Amino acid sequence: MGLIKEPLDVDFVVDPRPLTKEEENAISEFIKADKEKRLAKTKRVTKKTSKQTEKLS
Amino acid sequence: MNKFSKIELDFIIDKVTNSIENFQTGDSFPTEISLLNVSELKAIIKKNGWNFNWKNEFKQPEKDIYKLTIVGNPSIIQGLISIEVKKDHVYMHLIESAPFNIGKTKVYLGIPGNLVAFACKLSFQRGGEGYVSFIAKTKLIDHYKDTLGAIHFRGHLMVITTESALKLIGKYFKT
Repeated sequence: MGLIKEPLDVDFVVDPRPLTKEEENAISEFIKADKEKRLAKTKRVTKKTSKQTEKLS
Repeated sequence: MNKFSKIELDFIIDKVTNSIENFQTGDSFPTEISLLNVSELKAIIKKNGWNFNWKNEFKQPEKDIYKLTIVGNPSIIQGLISIEVKKDHVYMHLIESAPFNIGKTKVYLGIPGNLVAFACKLSFQRGGEGYVSFIAKTKLIDHYKDTLGAIHFRGHLMVITTESALKLIGKYFKT
């Protein structure tokens, strides 16, 4: 377990306003694309592992 | 009442244990995060050094306000976070460290990191796969990339992805 030690002269502040519909959609699109990217990565690793297992047997 | 606020009413969070560090002594203190009570709002005002209008934040039913306190010292609020559970992630409306935890004379380190890690954890619990979004101030975008592993993708929008969320949770929450 560790801590993220923020510098003393930096305080974590977000822009306190609600998301617009457009921003909300943009975030959803980003998340969707990121999930697909992650899934594709996982599939590639699984495929590679299966091939390696086949070769060994 | 929308479906999200219904979920909020049904949701009871277990106490989570993590820690913050005293800047002067380096001592670590276990902390817990729980929902803010209406009675506690009286002291969270600009006159007492808080920057944001938490009373107004509290009034909005789609938002949940959580407080970070040291275990055994529940009356001293170390920091606050306002979050909303969206359909595919958690949106962070507001986050603020207590007045004594701001600037060069801050008493404790690790308040924002703790609260953001909590938002990631909540995102996993509520089906958001750890995704957390927020709107960053321009000058802090790089800082968030470095410290939180957040991705800046459009305007001031930033997203913490599943991968970074897992890292943050690993840093702050004992399993």
